[in-house]
This record gives sequence, C-alpha cells and structure tokens, in this order.
Amino acid sequence: MVFELFSGKGESQIERIEEQIQEMLAACGRTIDIATDALFGRVAPAEVGTKLRKSDRSVNRLEREIRRELVVHAGVRGASADIPAILVYMSIVKDIERLGDYAKNLWDVANAGGDLTGLAEFDRIRNDAAWVRELVDRTARIFAERDAEAAQVALNEADAKLDEFDAMVIAQLTSDRPSREGVPIALVARYLKRISAHLMNVMTAVVMPLDRLDYWDEDKADRW
Amino acid sequence: MAESPATTERSGGVPRWLRLLLVLGFLYLFLVGVKGLETGIKVFGADTAERIFGYVSSPVAGLFAGILATVLVQSSSVTTSTIVGLVGSGSLSVAAAVPMIMGANIGTTVTNTLASLGHVRRGAEFRRAFAGATVHDFFNVFAVLLFLPLELATGFLSRSASALSSALAGSEAVAGAAPGTSPIKSAIKAPVKLIEGGMTDLGLHTGWLGALLLALSLALIFLALVLITRNMRIVMAGRMEAGFNAVLGRGAGVGAMILGVVVTVAVQSSSITTSILVPLLGAGVITLENAYPVTLGANLGTTVTALLASLAADRPEALTIALTHTLFNVFGILVFYPLPAVRRLPMRAARALAEVATRRKRVVVAYLVFVFVVVPLVGIVVFR
Repeated sequence: MVFELFSGKGESQIERIEEQIQEMLAACGRTIDIATDALFGRVAPAEVGTKLRKSDRSVNRLEREIRRELVVHAGVRGASADIPAILVYMSIVKDIERLGDYAKNLWDVANAGGDLTGLAEFDRIRNDAAWVRELVDRTARIFAERDAEAAQVALNEADAKLDEFDAMVIAQLTSDRPSREGVPIALVARYLKRISAHLMNVMTAVVMPLDRLDYWDEDKADRW
Repeated sequence: MAESPATTERSGGVPRWLRLLLVLGFLYLFLVGVKGLETGIKVFGADTAERIFGYVSSPVAGLFAGILATVLVQSSSVTTSTIVGLVGSGSLSVAAAVPMIMGANIGTTVTNTLASLGHVRRGAEFRRAFAGATVHDFFNVFAVLLFLPLELATGFLSRSASALSSALAGSEAVAGAAPGTSPIKSAIKAPVKLIEGGMTDLGLHTGWLGALLLALSLALIFLALVLITRNMRIVMAGRMEAGFNAVLGRGAGVGAMILGVVVTVAVQSSSITTSILVPLLGAGVITLENAYPVTLGANLGTTVTALLASLAADRPEALTIALTHTLFNVFGILVFYPLPAVRRLPMRAARALAEVATRRKRVVVAYLVFVFVVVPLVGIVVFR
C-alpha cells in the first residue's frame, strides 16, 4: 500500500534501490542455505564458516549502500524527495540485514555442537527451515511485484507459523529432556521465528500504511 | 504496479523533452535580458554610467560590491551575467569588473553556508555540514587573496582572457559570422529593439527609458535563471543522484570535480550543487575530502553562465570578462588542488571554523553577518 502510493518506476535511483533490495534478499537466501546445510549435517560447520561470513558481509555492505543512496536521493531531490519511500526502505533494509544475522546464529548452533540429527523433531524442523527459506524467495517476489494479495496470504501463513515456533520453544521449556536436545531445538525455533517475522515486516510494506509497518509480528492483542 | 501519484507530481506532469524546450526558451530570455541591460545602460548615457560605477572604481570596493550584490540576489550567475552585460555596454571596464567577478565567487558561498544552519542543533552533524559549506568560502577567499593582488600587479588573468577571447572571436569570424553579427545576436537584439521602440512610443525618454529597461532586464535575467535552474533540477535529478552515488562509491578526485562541473552547468547554479552536498556531509555519507573537489567543480561550472551571457554582448570585452571568471577558477583549482599539502589548507580552515562554530553558535551568526554583510558594506564605503 505504501509503495502503491509513493513509489514509481522510471523515477531515478529508486529503481536501483529496488534492485539492491532484491540482491540483499538473494544474498540472505544464500546465507540461510549455508547455515541450514551446516545445521542439518549436510556439511561440516567449520568448512562453510568463511563462506557464510562473506555472504553476510555482502548483505551488510548492501544495507549501507542503500542507506547512503537514500540520503543522496533526499539531498538531491530536496522537497520533492520520496520521503515515505525513503522511510520504508530505511526500515526494511534493517529487517533484511537481520536475516543474515539470524542465519549466522543458526550456523552458530551447529558450530557449537548443537546436533538435531536423530531427534524426533528433526524432520519437522528441517521442513520448517525449508518453509522459511521458501518465504525469503516469496518475499522477494511479492515485494518486487507489490503483490498485495500474495502478501496477505503469505502474512497469514507466516503468522500461524510464528505461533508454531513459539509452541516449539515453550514445549522445550516444560520438557524433561536433556538440554543438549532441548536447547538446540528452542534456539533454532526461535531463530526461524525471527527470520519469518523480519520477512513479514518486509511484506507489510506492500499491504500496510507507513505508520503500521512492522506491527504484524506483535502479539495479536497488541497489534492495533 | 501502478505509477504513483507522487511520481507525476514530482515531474509536474511535464514531459522531459518539453522541459528541455522550455529551458531553451528561458535561455533565450536570459540572453535577451543581458542584451536589454546593455541597451539600458547605453540609453542612460556615459555620464550616468560613470557616476554609478564611480562608486566602485577601486578594486577593493569592486570586490566587496561583487560580494554584496551576490549575497543580495543569492546567485553569482545573476551578478556575473549583469557584470558581463555592463562590460558589454562599455560602461564598466574589464579591469574594474575583475574584482567584482571575484567578489561574486565569494558571495555565492553564503547559500550553502545558510543551508548548513539546518543542522545547527545537532553538534557532530553541524560540524561536518558547516565545514563542508565553508570549505567553499575558504577556497574562494584564498584564491582572491592570491590572485587579486597578482592581477592588479600584472593583469595576468585579464590578459590571458583577452588573448583567449581574441582567439575565440577569430574562430567566430572563421565560422562565417563577423563579430557582433551572429544569428544568435540578431535573434537577441530583435525583441530588445521592439521593447525599446514600444517604450519610446509611450513617450519615455533617456532617464525613465533607461531605468525601466534596466529594471526589466534585471528581472528577466533573474527570472530566466531561476526557471532554468528549477526545470533543469527536475530534468537532471536522476542523473545527479547517479553521479553523487558514483562519487560516494569511488571517492574523491577529478571524477568528483567533473561531476561538480556537469551538475552546475546543467542546473546553472553552483549553489544547488554545493547545497546538495551539505546534508550529505551532515549525515556523514560523504567526507569533506570527497565533497571538496565537487565544490571546486561547481565553482568552475558556474562560470558557464557568464560565458553564455557574453553571447548577447557586442563588445569582445564581455567575452574577456567571462573568460576571466573561468580562468580565475581554473587557476584557483590548479593552485589549491593538485598538491595535497595546499589542498588541505581550505579544508583545515573550514574544519577549524566548524569546530569553533559548533561550540559557540554565536560565531556562526557573527561569521555570516560580518563576512557577507558588514565587511562588504564597510569595504565599499571605505575604499570607494
């Protein structure tokens, strides 16, 4: 909704920023791939540590570049600058940058010896991670096309998924199982929830007014 | 995705080609204004012109008059075009005009210094913005301190410009148009003659006719430049963004200077270019070292306006003074940019002033009032 009103194609460097946001999301997707490969035992965590950090650094670099370019946009355009678009981009690049951080946290769990293989929840967590990874691509597409309908569907699905992740964490809190089993499950569920929530924040830019960005992942009672 | 209403609003719904066509029209009006100025002065008669410019016959008074006039109209383009028109009319000599042109260079820096005041409540931000704005002041002041005495002693600037002007006037003749009879000049003269004729028919003579023609011409120059700047800023916005992003990405250097020249030539205002830098400096996304060459480029780019104005003038001295403006800035860059130790002088001075100004805000007001108002006023009175 915000972008429907304030952004337009053929307008200056805003298009370039759109492309950079797509680049950021793609880089985040690659970072999550590396992290989950380590987490689910497809590669040894130590083997991919450097690659993961490099990928995350590219996300951070893009975030700084976009911020600089938004300041230039405001400076050059003066009073005719696309202020709402600037504010939205500033907000969502922070969300996207956080995806890289949480991907690193997932890798940290694997690198610290957190082992999910052999646990009853292994398949479920692996499927959830795949769902989250797919949500990165969906978000990129929804944002690029400003597909409000698809955004609404994805937000509702993700909203339900957040509850599932919360339930998984709470289940570990109240369980008697050993910490080497419960802690990695709780941490991974928490990180997948945060990745999903940040992706939801990005998608809210397509359907929500500027002042309500980021409020989708609040507790339902606190949202409005 | 539908095109946003904001986009349409920003471009004002006017197609790019139409804006460019409008700019050409405004450029024509600008030249008509310069020609009208020249004609108005001639109508006044040599005695009146001598009385007016007798006040600033001293070079120092001329320098301060250039500063004050530019501060008042907030545009060195207006001042330098007017000076070119006056030189073109023969009522102001090149020698007397050179300090005024230098003064206009200093006076134009007030705009971005005023722009930096928007950051005054945020210490670190203001320090960066104010230093970025005043580096322009210091460069121009240093250049004047160096070149004005040299010019007065040797006339090296005006002589070089005169030689260049003769060479260019020669090429104009080669191109098939005798000096003063080019199609551009004929097209510019026609409306001025029409206006002058109309005013005479209304019964206006020497004094009133000259005054009215002068006022109308000055208004036309001012209005045309404002409209050129406004339209070109819209037309160029995307490219300007891309240019500034490239400078931010690659750092300082000749590329940054070229950006300053190109943007300023396009929008016909160095103040626009340098004022764009101020918020970027304040936000810290561009360093003073990277902004400085852009500022120097803007200083050079703004000389194109005087060169354009000289197209409307009959006398070759008009081109000479316009070229003097260009050479003053070229030599300034050659002295104050290539050597790192010298390059740092204006930046150090600007940083030192910003440091003091950040701690004591009264210094900012004192600086603006003294440098741009009190000193020029007192200077004109004392040195005339």
